[in-house]
Amino acid sequence: MNERIEKLRAMLLAKEYRAKRSREPIELADSFSKEKIGYAMRAALRLKRLAEEEEPSLCEWDRIGFRRSTACMPPILTEKEWAEIRKEHFVFDFGWVANINSDYKMVLSRGFKSIREEIEQRKADANAAQKEEAEAMLISLRAVDTVVRKYRTAAKAQGLFALAEALSNVPEHPPRSFYEACVMLRLLNFMLWLNDNKHVTVGRFDQYMYPYFRADVEAGVLDETGALEIIEELFISLNFDADLYPGVQQGDNGQSLVLGGCDKDGNPAYNELSRLCLIASAELKLIDPKINLRVDKNTPREIYLLGTTLTAKGLGFPQYSNDDVVIPALCRWGYALEDARNYVVAACWEFIVPGKAFDINNVDGANLPRAVDRALREGEIGSYREFRERVRRQIDAEVESITAPVKNLFFQPSPLQSVLMDGCAEELKDVSEGLHYNNMGLHGVGIANAADAMAAVKYCVCEQKTVSYGELLRALDADFEGFEDVRSKLLSAPKMGNNDDFADDEAAFLLDCFADSCEKQKNDRGGIWRAGTGTAMYYIWYSETMGATADGRRAGTAYSANYSPSLDVKTDGVLSVISSFSKPDLGRVCNGGPLTLEFHDTVFRNEEGMGKVADLVRMFVALGGHQLQLNAINRETLLDAQKHPEKYPQLIVRVWGWSGYFNELDLCYQQHVIRRLEF
Amino acid sequence: MKGRIFSIEEFSLYDGPGIRTTVFFKGCPLSCNWCHSPEGQGYARQIVKSGNGCLHCGKCAAVCTHPGACVLCGECVKVCPRSLIRISGEDREAEQLYKKLSKNFALLERGGGGVTFSGGEPLMQAEFLLEMLRLCEGKTHRAIQTSGYCAETTFSEVLKNVDLVLYDLKLIDEDAAKRYTGKSSAPILRNFEILKGSGVPFVVRVPLIPTVTDTEKNLTAIAERIGGAGFLKVELEPYNKFAGSKYAMCGREYLPQFDESVPPEINTKIFEERNIKVSVY
Repeated sequence: MNERIEKLRAMLLAKEYRAKRSREPIELADSFSKEKIGYAMRAALRLKRLAEEEEPSLCEWDRIGFRRSTACMPPILTEKEWAEIRKEHFVFDFGWVANINSDYKMVLSRGFKSIREEIEQRKADANAAQKEEAEAMLISLRAVDTVVRKYRTAAKAQGLFALAEALSNVPEHPPRSFYEACVMLRLLNFMLWLNDNKHVTVGRFDQYMYPYFRADVEAGVLDETGALEIIEELFISLNFDADLYPGVQQGDNGQSLVLGGCDKDGNPAYNELSRLCLIASAELKLIDPKINLRVDKNTPREIYLLGTTLTAKGLGFPQYSNDDVVIPALCRWGYALEDARNYVVAACWEFIVPGKAFDINNVDGANLPRAVDRALREGEIGSYREFRERVRRQIDAEVESITAPVKNLFFQPSPLQSVLMDGCAEELKDVSEGLHYNNMGLHGVGIANAADAMAAVKYCVCEQKTVSYGELLRALDADFEGFEDVRSKLLSAPKMGNNDDFADDEAAFLLDCFADSCEKQKNDRGGIWRAGTGTAMYYIWYSETMGATADGRRAGTAYSANYSPSLDVKTDGVLSVISSFSKPDLGRVCNGGPLTLEFHDTVFRNEEGMGKVADLVRMFVALGGHQLQLNAINRETLLDAQKHPEKYPQLIVRVWGWSGYFNELDLCYQQHVIRRLEF
Repeated sequence: MKGRIFSIEEFSLYDGPGIRTTVFFKGCPLSCNWCHSPEGQGYARQIVKSGNGCLHCGKCAAVCTHPGACVLCGECVKVCPRSLIRISGEDREAEQLYKKLSKNFALLERGGGGVTFSGGEPLMQAEFLLEMLRLCEGKTHRAIQTSGYCAETTFSEVLKNVDLVLYDLKLIDEDAAKRYTGKSSAPILRNFEILKGSGVPFVVRVPLIPTVTDTEKNLTAIAERIGGAGFLKVELEPYNKFAGSKYAMCGREYLPQFDESVPPEINTKIFEERNIKVSVY
């Protein structure tokens, strides 16, 4: 980090510029409604208005810039209109077009001029609906230009000539340098947020940016130091307005960036730029962009070592995903091989395809411990085999009850996002109508708790007969009060995470059932339902109302986050955990959702420890694990941070699929991380 | 035969090369004043209660029928809502322990590591240790972490069955050794000579206890004894103030007879001057 980047980083952390944003409310929906303006047009007109409101915010250290000067995001639909829409449609997450990845490769290589000309050309002989969409797209592009012009003028006035010069070329024309490409990317990112898109992902930065980087290096105009400076500034800029874009929690904003992996022919794609991105992220120690590293069984050890330096900084990333599992899984689900090889992650860990997919991979979560509990309560257990069949039926029922109402979905059109996707400009179609891939995903919530509960029923009730069926139900209903003995027996049954087939077989069965249940369903946008191993925030939400479960979990105790051992289980250790968790057929439940391992921060105190962690990650990949995230934390530090938050403004933890500042998390999420460190 | 262990730790970082699993044997003939693993000292099984996350609900005390004279009935273990109480010390059949360890042998090999037997003091249960070492022969890399305090014949026999020795040299001076570790250093030094002559690869580990083991005199005495075909390096382990953190779990008070607040002297020069490979942990 050079001095200028340090200044920018300090400015970001001081947050003063955030207080200066105008919070003046803007009203649009009522007038839109009165004038009976179409929804796509409304989105475009809102963007136009917000672009007009935005004032450039540049300081002497900026070479990229773009910070919000307004904090208002006016709705485009009235409450009354929403009520009408909800009567007829399933509305997921306010119908935002979110959590997808733009085709940055295409947009950068074309520039807006070429795209605009295509829209105008197609518009000539289009139908009315297409014409309206075309008009909305053109207004959106002009709104981008409004911002560009303002920034260009301001940059010139403040003597930031490089930026002014860049903005005289991009986004209208393709970037002439790596720097211009980064300015254009940041502009697009800024505009998408301004367009009310959520979870705006960054995607395969090291791939779509590589041609610009390489050309500069070959021309001798860019060296490693220069490139690192540009990358670091871009990364900082992605944090500028992150506070305006919280998801369920601050930090859950979806700005994931993917490095490595393979090219369209399957050759290794990790390059010099990937390496610089890892170095930049390790130096900056910021929560955005959230780094994902695509690896496979042939990935060299040095890459894992560099990845581990980020983990050691306590960033909670990189999150690793295993191409050897993910690519075949996506192909099996109908993605073309070339698209599967180009996969990225959505906001957290859901595997998606840039440009071509409007997949909705986080529609809901299946409450698996509840399904097992319901199976248990169907009546006295004849044989374990019969109990398993009950579980299968309950999971079917759970999945059906979630997927059945997901029909006739409503989305707010998003003309700007459409322009950045594959084929929308050509067909004058809004992304919200769907793209090439329109799949949906379901999280499998509480996998370890559910598998442990099944194993405990099998062990204690069916095989050892140490707990009778009636006694088990009474103990669960009493939340184990007065039944400590029963709980103790349940807890001592085999558990997932100990590399014990007794419990691991139950997990494999459970995940197979979940995959089968999802495969039976078709979604009404012409796609499939993908089963996954993530939880999102449901590990907290569902567990709060769930009574005691047969794994020995008390009522209200959180489930494990994502694909991880239960909080009540002291496992034999990480080797057993990675063995257990790589046993199920993960290719069938590949919507996304990582195994999470927590390490005490002292593990990383020297190179030997770091090397061993890197080897462990490699081992996980070789075993056929699909996705992994690691936390380097220290329980004492977290407890102290709860008491004295002021001492730890920069303390970062991995929560479920993203890294956030510990102080900004709600207590329940803080407590969950702390409990994961108790054994 | 059976042996008594108190923990198996996977991915133990500082017990030899590569990714390893360490088995901790219960019981140790020494009673080092700075011991960070009080659970490993006594051979007898005992209650261990982790304070992390304790709700102070009082359920463990309420069910106790033998306050002050624990009979290991395990009632408190059952009632703890956070599962923070356990009985430390488990008697395991060698075959059964081997079976458990062997599940990870492929991973350990891939990670360039193996199994380490530590403690407590593994040589205190020499027969069991030998059985474990023989079972693991040719299957995985075998290391022991030892104070070397045992009969010479026992030690020689163990050396024939091990791939790496992590050998503690704490205090050379006889009086100091008796005072701070509770035992004479003579058997340790005799066995060290046997180790040097055996050709078995070994690492010498020196805990740097402020004003006790980190003195120039002690480190010089250690350095002068270094030698042998199998010698790899000296590892200095500076005293960690968390050493005392596990005493309360065992219902004991940590009473260091040295000034904990003095940072240990990390004197690598004494070794470097003699061309002895040294590293600091």
